[in-house]
Amino acid sequence: MSNHTLPERLAAVPVHAGRKPDARRRWKGLLPYAFIVPPALYLLVFMFWPLGRQIYLSLTRTRLATPNRSTFIGLGNYERLFDNPDFYTTLKITLIYSVLAVVIGVAVGMVAALALNRPFPGRTLVRGILLFGWAVPNVAAALVWLWIFNERSGILNTVVTGLGLERVSWLTSTEMALPSILLVTVWQVAPFVMLVMLAALQSVPEEVKEAALVDGADRLSVFKAVTLPHVLPTLQLVSLLVMVWSIRRFDIIYLLTGGGPIGSTSTLIVKLRQVAFENHDLGLASAYGVVGLVLAMSVAAIHALYNRRRQT
Amino acid sequence: MRRFSKVTTRLLRGLLVLALVVFGGFPIYWMAVTALSLNSELYSTGQVPWPQLSNLPAMVADLAGLPLIRWLVNTGIIAVGTTVLSLVLGALAGYALSRFRFHGKGVIGFLMFMTQVVPEALILVPLYAMFITFGLLNSLLGLVLANVGFSLPVTAFIIKSAIDAVPYEIEESAIVDNCPRISVLTMIILPTIAPSLAAAAVISFFAGWNEYLFAATFLMDTSLWPASVGLASFIGQYETPLSAVMSAALIFSIPAIAFFLLIQNKIVAGITAGAVKG
Repeated sequence: MSNHTLPERLAAVPVHAGRKPDARRRWKGLLPYAFIVPPALYLLVFMFWPLGRQIYLSLTRTRLATPNRSTFIGLGNYERLFDNPDFYTTLKITLIYSVLAVVIGVAVGMVAALALNRPFPGRTLVRGILLFGWAVPNVAAALVWLWIFNERSGILNTVVTGLGLERVSWLTSTEMALPSILLVTVWQVAPFVMLVMLAALQSVPEEVKEAALVDGADRLSVFKAVTLPHVLPTLQLVSLLVMVWSIRRFDIIYLLTGGGPIGSTSTLIVKLRQVAFENHDLGLASAYGVVGLVLAMSVAAIHALYNRRRQT
Repeated sequence: MRRFSKVTTRLLRGLLVLALVVFGGFPIYWMAVTALSLNSELYSTGQVPWPQLSNLPAMVADLAGLPLIRWLVNTGIIAVGTTVLSLVLGALAGYALSRFRFHGKGVIGFLMFMTQVVPEALILVPLYAMFITFGLLNSLLGLVLANVGFSLPVTAFIIKSAIDAVPYEIEESAIVDNCPRISVLTMIILPTIAPSLAAAAVISFFAGWNEYLFAATFLMDTSLWPASVGLASFIGQYETPLSAVMSAALIFSIPAIAFFLLIQNKIVAGITAGAVKG
């Protein structure tokens, strides 16, 4: 970025040392590896080896008690998975949860960003308060939301009964549990969307907006014609990030409902834990996880492909 | 007419901001209010909806009954360990990705980006089995090693984009003078990108601070529990006064809130840098 501000002669200096003539001596070609090998090796041991092992587990029959003793059974676990109506419920819940988290979270975050885009007294304070949901650790968030949702004494039901309505089982009924989890998710995700979109909105060229307004365009059409196209790539990026995070989200769902009641908030990743630690079936659990991983990776891949197309 | 619509727009905008502030801020307000309530109010006579500072001594007394200090010390150890290891490895990776061309660079960048897609729960069991073998189960070190797998790539991407913005000329003369590359990195490059290093440090610190699933699985010994696991153990348990639980949750949250607010824009830049440049 700052390259633009440098004098031109600096722009001619090659950024990559590998191209420099003093890299002639042979061992110098190995220099990059001295830097990249330790972190790469680290990730190999603590990320990709376990990941590969988990994918392998999905092709085996393995019990939790003996995770190092497994029998290879090919695609058996996936056959069991695709024959199981439970799997389709879990997949459906994962998709509903992730898509709604994106739609609502991005909408709320975008509205907040638009509301905060123009200065007003107290804007910094308001922005700080709006960020709470993003900054609070999952466990602390779960504790306070459990109390807010508490069926007998929680503030939500105090308000609901105060309005003369029936108490709501926010987290313990199959109809309300997923919407309640979504509410907490939006509370956590929308602030991040707001921050990113606020940065994007601030970079919209002010002159173009003003010129359009002077020419008699109303604010809505200026938004549609100038602002929206300018921030659209960022909006797409942030939507994809929220989607991937929703697919892999575990803590807040597990702590609020544990996937219940009767599996109504059980996403693939929550189900993975349940099958592994309650049914002790590591093979099938891994198969659930692999489906989740493939789902998240396809979203990331769509993003990467889209990005490449935009750049060329 | 135009004047009227201007007033309405401002009013609507004000109401919208108010609604957002209530939605965003209420849970934390409620955490504080609940922390300053008596258990009798919470479960029978009804919660008082504003903070009662007169209950502060009672809250402190309840809080003293929890092993909060030990939990926070453990949390701190995990967070510091995660930060140090992420920064050291992240600086190496960030420098290599920014300044060198080498075989496999694209693949390594892609795989590092892909770590952010991997759910923690997916590598939980293999890590568990591995930690049994190497005696890392039930140890804070094992937990740090597991956490760094996720925070290292983020740190590396932040450092890489920071180094990308540093002109090559700054290190050129040192390289010509045959100064070892590692010293070029530590003595010349890293000091110039100190703000980004700070942001990377805060991100990995709070990744370790907030982490729950690995800690809950790998630590059996309650004396090793971090605050996340300790606080989660109160869920569905009613012996501990709720006011004490909420005040502990608040104390656990305040450092995270303070630092996230302090470097909010840097964090966003870091997270999106990983996604854009991977």
